[in-house]
Amino acid sequence: MLAIWYFTSNGLLAPVLEHLGAGKDYRYTSELKAIPLYFGIVATVLGVWHWLGQHKEGGFDFYSSSIAGGMFILLITMLVRWFIAPEIAVLSIGLGEVGDTGKHIHELLGLNYVVLGIVAGIIIVNVFKVPVWAKNGVRLSRLGLKTGVILLGALYSAAELKNLGGLSIIMIGFFVLGSVGIVLWIGARRNIPNSMGGVLSAGMGVCGVSATVAVAPVVQAKPVEIAYTIGTILIWGVACMFLFPIIGNLLNMSYVQFGAWAGTGILNSAQVAGAALAYQPDGIETLMVAEIFNITRVLILPIIVLWLAMWYVKREGNATTQVNVGHVVLAKFPVFVLGFILMFALSTTGVFAPANHYQGKYFGNTVEQGFKLENLLQAEQIAILKADANKIQNADYREAYNRLIKNNKIMSIADDTVVRGLINAKTLSPDANKILASAHQSVRHTAKKIDNFRQWITWLFAFGLVGLGMQITVGSMKQAGGEPAIIGGVVGFIKAALSLVVVMLLVSETV
Amino acid sequence: MEKDKIQSFDRGSALSIFSSDRKEDLIALALAFILALVIYLID
Repeated sequence: MLAIWYFTSNGLLAPVLEHLGAGKDYRYTSELKAIPLYFGIVATVLGVWHWLGQHKEGGFDFYSSSIAGGMFILLITMLVRWFIAPEIAVLSIGLGEVGDTGKHIHELLGLNYVVLGIVAGIIIVNVFKVPVWAKNGVRLSRLGLKTGVILLGALYSAAELKNLGGLSIIMIGFFVLGSVGIVLWIGARRNIPNSMGGVLSAGMGVCGVSATVAVAPVVQAKPVEIAYTIGTILIWGVACMFLFPIIGNLLNMSYVQFGAWAGTGILNSAQVAGAALAYQPDGIETLMVAEIFNITRVLILPIIVLWLAMWYVKREGNATTQVNVGHVVLAKFPVFVLGFILMFALSTTGVFAPANHYQGKYFGNTVEQGFKLENLLQAEQIAILKADANKIQNADYREAYNRLIKNNKIMSIADDTVVRGLINAKTLSPDANKILASAHQSVRHTAKKIDNFRQWITWLFAFGLVGLGMQITVGSMKQAGGEPAIIGGVVGFIKAALSLVVVMLLVSETV
Repeated sequence: MEKDKIQSFDRGSALSIFSSDRKEDLIALALAFILALVIYLID
């Protein structure tokens, strides 16, 4: 890491970065000049301490040993994000666009740093093996993903969460309950044990591995049935993580559509995040949508546990032993979801950005709020707007438009929404549209703290996903098989296909 | 003696270094709020 920082700071990497920029400015220069330095110092200090220090076997020694592995994952993430993914993009651009899609191969296949990082992790663990000193760090990947999800709570405004929350409750409610019901129905027809059907239905319906583990004691699942279910989820989830972004690109799905689809159709939380970031590697709007769906699904877990407990007792009758369902629900409830809600609540107080922010940008039309006086509309711009005024039919829209003309700037969030609507509707002349766009830009300000949250979240997810790749072994996927794999495959496919249709037909709103 | 040593700290599972999901969740919670505090104080 220190070598990367040193070579970048001294300009020795300049020709490489110019090549990777492919005719444009290389986009990660600022990251290269800071991140490897900070983490390089941390890695070196801890490395020296581990190497030369006296260590007593125990809890502290064990937990601190994971940091070396964490740095190993981070180094792989850096190499993929800064060098390997850009090089593949350069090669792909060199090959030209694919047919009349207007996209290059790497864009269509989603070969960005997220996907390539996961692939690098899979190759390392299955071909080269993770070094012994780094093994504990690989087991930190879930911690990285959970921390990222909690921080994500700071990025939503109340309006965004309200819009997405309503949509996600309807879709997730339908698809989760539907998948659980279908697995139980098919399972009964194919005569698989009730314990197997119960645990598989939770895994396929709710949120993969966590749900499987939570439901297992309620339906008295045997270890081999849990292993079958986790293997099935893993194979299906990994396939979805790579296939969903390709399909999304082919269908030109919007970020909201893709996020809603991934959050509904993919089984495991980590793979939902992987697919969302693979679809939009340089922004987190898709991830924000997908995670709302994912969190809604996790929150349904207690309902599923209760349902399956009643179902199991009804089918097994006296054969069941007493299981305290309430205790299971409490013990297995994922507390990190509460952290997400807490972070959102904290964010709505306005500590990180004005509460009315929209995707990290907030409205402000006074100098104190960040508005620049040179952005007031000039006489000639006002003349162009006046000439187009009669093209606006709606009375409310025309009022907002006239307020802009009168004050030389947008006067409220509501007016700004109208202006955005007018820009998108393209009813005015291109010149007038350009003026409206600039008036809109001048009252929208970036919240710096939100930007910093985005940076941390991106790196935490990238770290978690490369680590996740290092946990995908051929051996763990081989656990899947027999009836559970067939039922899981059928239900997984139905859920993915149906949710795609529903999303394409019904979801069009923006975050 | 060996039994005491095993009980003194847990080496977690194949997926996590922590002894339980609940512990991992709580550590993630603490880490996230520390990071949020850092972001709040620095900017």
